[in-house]
Amino acid sequence: MHEMAVMNYLLATVEAEAERIGAIRVLTINVVMGERASVFDDSLLFYFDLLTPGTRAEGARLQVRRTPMRFHCAVCDEDYTHVDDTFRCPRCGTVGQVTDDGSELLIESIEVES
Amino acid sequence: MSLTHTVPIGKRLLDGNDQVAAANRRRFDDAGVLVVNVMASPGAGKTSVIIRTLDALRDHLRVGVIEGDIAGRIDADRVLAAGAAAAHQINTGGNCHLEAHMIAEALDALDLRAVDLLFVENVGNLVCPTHWALGEQLKLCVLSTAEGHDKPIKYPEIFAASDVIVLNKIDLIELVDFERARFYESVRALNPQAPIFEVSCRTGAGVEAWAGWLRAQAPAPGVDTVTHTKGRWPA
Repeated sequence: MHEMAVMNYLLATVEAEAERIGAIRVLTINVVMGERASVFDDSLLFYFDLLTPGTRAEGARLQVRRTPMRFHCAVCDEDYTHVDDTFRCPRCGTVGQVTDDGSELLIESIEVES
Repeated sequence: MSLTHTVPIGKRLLDGNDQVAAANRRRFDDAGVLVVNVMASPGAGKTSVIIRTLDALRDHLRVGVIEGDIAGRIDADRVLAAGAAAAHQINTGGNCHLEAHMIAEALDALDLRAVDLLFVENVGNLVCPTHWALGEQLKLCVLSTAEGHDKPIKYPEIFAASDVIVLNKIDLIELVDFERARFYESVRALNPQAPIFEVSCRTGAGVEAWAGWLRAQAPAPGVDTVTHTKGRWPA
């Protein structure tokens, strides 16, 4: 739903960084998007194709690394990712502690040609 | 010959918004105004919660409202009619959430010295508003029982990121098969601390407890607030 706004911010940062280091072209953009960030690939790529022409990122590859929300179950002493309509441990049914919240929205790095 | 290399960035994707939000926050803190970002689905009762709170606090705090909607100024007119000290309408023109720069622009039209408590009513949406910090000290999530007890599973971020949760339309709970225990279980998995207030804006049930809690978070009016509020809330 908010993919266009996310893409606008992403490309502004990438463009500024590319300019700062004197890159001719951006080849790859590496981003991290958590499960909880609710950003969808199809929609993201749609806006990427729409907004990149004429910028240094035109034709670049957008690499999205997904991070899940993870819990730790103290009873089983195991980590788990939740399934279906519950946050309970799939083995014992206890509600565990969140260890990785999966809320990341980060630009890790860019690969550029200079 | 061209050279290919990888440059680490390591920035939050919405860093540009976060910086404007931090500047807004300094303005709020300096003015001694408690700002609440009100987030919920369309129809959960954001405006109704604001109006009920206005009414409950009218003898204690001057309440201002910034309304965010895709179009129209119905909500700004409603809160002014209900006794808001100031109201400003933002029309996002299609954007599904408010962004920090929109609040910065609204502050040119809204006198922070005229209010003690400022509600920012976000665009109705359980997804997008959570990612855009506006400079608020408190994030409020309003959920209505009619939306179902499974919303924290489907939209975890808003429940995880909120400082306080209002469960509205509590008078409908029996009619809509809202399973209270399952709702609390999911919210607590994501957010062990946030207070949860069960209210009905229709009957007024629970409003006093919620408004009392909120009032206790606001700086006392008339106090020179620059030192009073600094450090009160984590940035």
